[in-house]
Amino acid sequence: MLTVRSDESVESPERVIAGILEGVRHLLPEQAPLHAFVHHNPLHAFEHLPFERAVVEAASIFGTEPFQSEQAFAHSLEIGRIRESDVESVVDDDLGPEPGPAICGLQRREFILGRLLHPFEVPIGATLLWQLVETPAQRAIHPLVHSARRRTLLHHAEARYGSLSQSTLETLLMTELWQRMKEVASPVEEQPHRPRPRDRIRDALGIDPDTWVHPLLIRLCAAFLDQGVAYWTMARREEGILRAFRRLYGLPVGPPDRWMNGLAGECRRQQREAWTAESTIVWALVALEVPPKDWPIVIRDTLLSLRGWAGMMSQFEQHPQRAPVVAHPARLADYLAVQMTLDVFASRHALCSATSEQGSLLELRPQTTPPPRDLELVYEAFVAAQLLPVEPAAFEDSAHARSWLTAIAEFDGLARRRLLHRAYERSYRVRVLDGMQAHERLDRRQLPSPEFQAVFCIDERSESLRRHLEEICTVAETFGYAGFFGVAMAYQGLDDIHPRPLCPVALSPRHQIVERAIEKEEESSYRNLRRRHGTLRHALGVGSKSLARGGILTAVTGLMSVVPLIGRCLFPALTERWSQRLDQGAVTGPATRLEIERSGPLTCEDGGDLLRGYTVLEMAGIVETALLTMGIAGACAPLVLIVGHGSSSLNNPHEAAHDCGATGGGRGGPNARAFAAMGNHPGVRHALAGRGINLPKNSWFVGAYHNTCDDSVRYYDDDLVPAAAREHFELAVRSMRAACALDAHERCRRFGTSPRDLDIGKAIAHVKAHSTDLAQPRPEYGHATNASCIVGRRSRTRGLFLDRRPFLVSYDPTTDPSGEGLATLLLSVGPVGAGINLEYYFSFVDPVGYGCGTKLPHNIVGLIGVMDGHASDLRTGLPWQMVEIHEPMRLLMIVEAAADTLERILEAHEGLDQLVRNEWIQLVSWSPDSPAMHVFANGAFIPYVPESTAIPILDRSPAFYSGHHEHLGLAHLTAAFGGAPA
Amino acid sequence: MNVASLNPPLLALIVLPAAAFFALAIPAWLGRRVDERAINAIVGAAFAASALAAVALISGMLAIGADRVVLPLGTWFETDSYRFTWTLVADHLSVPFALLSTVLVGLVGAFSRRYMHLERGYRRFYLLLALFGAGVEVVVLAGTLDMLFFGWEIVGLASALLIAFFNERVNPVEHGLRAFVTYRICDVGLLAAAVSLHHAVGSSDIAAPSPGSGDWGGFSCPNDPIQATAIGLLLLWASIGKSAQLPFGGWLPRAMEGPTPSSAIFYGAISIHLGAYLLLRAAPLLEQAPIAAAAVCTIGALTALHATFVGRVQSDIKSALAYASMTQVGLIFVEIGLGFRYLAIVHIVGHAAVRSLQILRSPSLLHDHHHLEQAMGQQLPKTGGHLERLVPAAMQPWLYRHALERGYFDAALLDFAARGFVRLFLALDRYDRAWSDLLTSAPRPPRLRQIRDAQESQ
Repeated sequence: MLTVRSDESVESPERVIAGILEGVRHLLPEQAPLHAFVHHNPLHAFEHLPFERAVVEAASIFGTEPFQSEQAFAHSLEIGRIRESDVESVVDDDLGPEPGPAICGLQRREFILGRLLHPFEVPIGATLLWQLVETPAQRAIHPLVHSARRRTLLHHAEARYGSLSQSTLETLLMTELWQRMKEVASPVEEQPHRPRPRDRIRDALGIDPDTWVHPLLIRLCAAFLDQGVAYWTMARREEGILRAFRRLYGLPVGPPDRWMNGLAGECRRQQREAWTAESTIVWALVALEVPPKDWPIVIRDTLLSLRGWAGMMSQFEQHPQRAPVVAHPARLADYLAVQMTLDVFASRHALCSATSEQGSLLELRPQTTPPPRDLELVYEAFVAAQLLPVEPAAFEDSAHARSWLTAIAEFDGLARRRLLHRAYERSYRVRVLDGMQAHERLDRRQLPSPEFQAVFCIDERSESLRRHLEEICTVAETFGYAGFFGVAMAYQGLDDIHPRPLCPVALSPRHQIVERAIEKEEESSYRNLRRRHGTLRHALGVGSKSLARGGILTAVTGLMSVVPLIGRCLFPALTERWSQRLDQGAVTGPATRLEIERSGPLTCEDGGDLLRGYTVLEMAGIVETALLTMGIAGACAPLVLIVGHGSSSLNNPHEAAHDCGATGGGRGGPNARAFAAMGNHPGVRHALAGRGINLPKNSWFVGAYHNTCDDSVRYYDDDLVPAAAREHFELAVRSMRAACALDAHERCRRFGTSPRDLDIGKAIAHVKAHSTDLAQPRPEYGHATNASCIVGRRSRTRGLFLDRRPFLVSYDPTTDPSGEGLATLLLSVGPVGAGINLEYYFSFVDPVGYGCGTKLPHNIVGLIGVMDGHASDLRTGLPWQMVEIHEPMRLLMIVEAAADTLERILEAHEGLDQLVRNEWIQLVSWSPDSPAMHVFANGAFIPYVPESTAIPILDRSPAFYSGHHEHLGLAHLTAAFGGAPA
Repeated sequence: MNVASLNPPLLALIVLPAAAFFALAIPAWLGRRVDERAINAIVGAAFAASALAAVALISGMLAIGADRVVLPLGTWFETDSYRFTWTLVADHLSVPFALLSTVLVGLVGAFSRRYMHLERGYRRFYLLLALFGAGVEVVVLAGTLDMLFFGWEIVGLASALLIAFFNERVNPVEHGLRAFVTYRICDVGLLAAAVSLHHAVGSSDIAAPSPGSGDWGGFSCPNDPIQATAIGLLLLWASIGKSAQLPFGGWLPRAMEGPTPSSAIFYGAISIHLGAYLLLRAAPLLEQAPIAAAAVCTIGALTALHATFVGRVQSDIKSALAYASMTQVGLIFVEIGLGFRYLAIVHIVGHAAVRSLQILRSPSLLHDHHHLEQAMGQQLPKTGGHLERLVPAAMQPWLYRHALERGYFDAALLDFAARGFVRLFLALDRYDRAWSDLLTSAPRPPRLRQIRDAQESQ
């Protein structure tokens, strides 16, 4: 039996365990509850390492994939997504000027290129054994060997064995080659040390104690963190999960499960003696006979075994304000104490039931032997020797054969995928940079001065909308600015029950803005009606799940559900329209305004730390920064639209992931509305004039909200637009309507269920149906197309088809000689863009390990996350349906600034420098005065030499994308310049 | 119009879903690719047509005032003392069920066209859905208990395979197996009931309703009350598996592993109510066997009580809905036991509609919760207050843990009821291995060394 020595005192267990936990905590998923989803780099904890090392290291800890599979890269090679020239270029860069010695007479470069360009599958484990025994795999030439090489091989065989039949020669040669490879193979290496008791028990006894512990732990965590699914909640959650666990499972007469024998007594003892979580953990580690040197790894692996739940505990502990309803006092240490206590009992039970005699964990030795990995290596070397142009005679010497095997082993799958990944990125980079330069070299007609300007979020989903707007209306000018528009506020709309921050997660808002009805009576009647509707719906929802009320409801009125059931299945869009009418149709919201100005002194509401509204000076500062950065300040049009964005959809637990990242996963409409109100404020105008920014007297700002899922636009406070700007406003609204239809049309080309020849006029109805359909797992593709980020003047990219792939950030280098403005911009755009980009990268390369798998069986738990079906770990990351069209590449960040300016900025800002130097993003400097570009590589900017100057020239975007489902390259569109010939 | 004119729609109800199944199965068997559109057209057309057939059947029966249409389809096999006949019966009980199931399967088929788009198992899903649809129609329209058993097995198989739909993960497969084993254990009851019926009254046919015993016929009732009770209890045993009643209900929340639409149709709407259907079919017999009827009531009441407590502490939406279903099916059992047959039918139809819609909507829970909060202008009111008032404070932790641990049925089942079997099987496995190792003198699975040896000996 295990020995329990709880009296064995360890010096200050609190400190030891707390220290270990702090070291391990950052490995857990840092995903907030789903309603507050914010994209982040899943490997944030590894950002101090270079990307390529970090992904491999993380893969070994988490058991995940670092890159796409070799098979996926092979497919990319096949379809030309990776070109041979890309592979050659990255190999040359990797080898450097001295490529190292030849391998069996083959130049190292040839060897590496051959391995990369001629991928073949190496069967593993039992599949390989089967092939070797049941197929002529080791006696015949591999089917991928092309005919010329085959002839060479047979020719060599003939020279060696004399003239025999072809098949005999083949068998003889291959058998000898196989034997040779096998002779020189070294024995299988030892498996790595796995100190976690559960792993050792599983390896030795074939019993997995986690199958007992996990279901219970999941039930407990879900009940403890639940935000409102359960009708009857766990009592006294404010005392923490450890005490709740001890109280429930310490009741006299424990659960009858055999593995929990004695648990009740132990819980009572711990409770009676008031053990802290940390001392409980120490007790469990001692009871599990874990030597102190292994404690950190055991704790890490224990937490990672149910990482989603552990991570959520840690999130509740660190960011209680993100809890959807109530933040129960969660502590990672409490959670671990529960898990390890259960581990002790499960491990004891496993030992008892498997070994009749009393055993110790320390004596466990794995029964299963590691898989014959060296046989896989032999096979790989065997096939590679046939495929690569190496002299067959070389292998007759066993020293040569050994060096071949070593070379094959060193250039393993991981090394190949690393290079192929670089080639994959390079191919896109070259296409984008060439396209941008070619576009600039074309003549572009001078445009008339704009009648209206529209400012969008930098989000890559705005790219198509902006492009269409410019194509429709040559007198429109567009800009990209982080979608909170500098208004970092806590916002409470008329319907909201509490304020929520609408600003990047890195900021914490200091100002609160409230939406109020203009007419107070309207507001109260609106609220009352809504409340009555809500109360009824709530009562029905709760009642239908209960016994008596449910019986009456389902038996008496249940049949009425047939109508919505048929509607939802057959006519989703119509049904949603009707259900919204029934819900709120009787009551339209009252007209409202934002309470934006703080007139009183610097007082805080309710003793909180939020200031009500902004002062005129604060507002002027926000407007000034935005206008200067974008370059609007000196050239303001009569009407400026400020367009925030968000997304609303059904059947989508990850709805918030489609909202605006710059507002911290919120919807940016109120920010746009607030910014417009600030810009129109006479006091602000006056203050701006004092700072040298003279906006035209008649100019006007209008805030708007773009729903990226159904491509609808809502305009705020349009009743205030003065007569002078009215005409421009109407032009803007008309153009936006047409642009949204085209935007919807362009998005539809990606949906597999949309017709290939969809009419532009029907596109809006089509995307609307997508957003309101209970059966639609792909309401929109979100950021799935993100790949790059262009920081610079729009005038240089106007009329360029960029396929909704770059974040477009407006920046005018001519007004920012010092580069200070750019530094501020990059400090927010860099990490945010990289966060989104890397979240997609990892969810795509390992949809199960980093992503949350297919969403079809997802089951919402506790209003905080999703599980796979019944009682699984909490699944973090993005669902496959959201990322399936993504191309996993690091963000290609092209900045309109001289290379030395960028170098200066990097030197001054450590965080940004780390992202760039460790190659988590690819940085390109784009000269403000010429098309010249410099690519950052190996710590320096290197001039970029374009490979091609060709670019397709078309009239409008639809002519380019229509009928295509796949990613497209760049194109020059003349309509954006009024149809000027290029 | 005569009764014979109703035979084609009656036959179509079974033939069309079965045809859809074969239309998908044969290309799959031959390894042909079929695109999503075609799959959908096949299943959609079959179920739309069979829904129309059901409507035609009902209107025809109403038009000519026929209470009962019997369509003998022939004999599968016969011996001196036994004959397996295929007969379809449409009456007041089977027709509403036939319509309900074909409409719901059709609706879920239409729903899944978008939901399952691009999923690798698209065809498999529709194949199993069509198989399930066909199986349900066989159960519902069967004219003998023997034929019903045939459909019953098909439904069970389709159900287990759809739970295990995502077969690259362990849990779905384990839980599919769990459901399958539960079904098989309870199938014993159905088989024994059929055999006993043949033994006692010589036939398991669904007889014409005898005057005064209700509007539809059941199985012929043996005169011996003990036999009647025994058969009634065997039918109850058969129905508690499919309808997830105590003590076998543990598989139901675990069955929520498949794609959401299949969970909705099986465990919110149709499969879960088949046990109740069987008991309704046996209602005339239960009337003659008060002890069996009382057992139906007791099981139903205990399940309803158990499930309502357990359901109330579930913090994931699909488990909460699974236990809510179990609660209502328990109530329906009580209604059947008490003889409220039409109430039970109305309850089943209403419950199926409500629950399947709720399960289909479950992925939108966060969206709905947010909007509900906004509408009410406050955090949603705390629930469970009256439970806390009713249950004495000292008992509350006990009850809570009882509910959280789902009444300890899993422990009872795995650690006690199944333990002996598992040990036996493990021991047999050990002996088998030892014996085969002895015979083949291969103490270990082949490794590099053995393969090398094998090659050298070639």
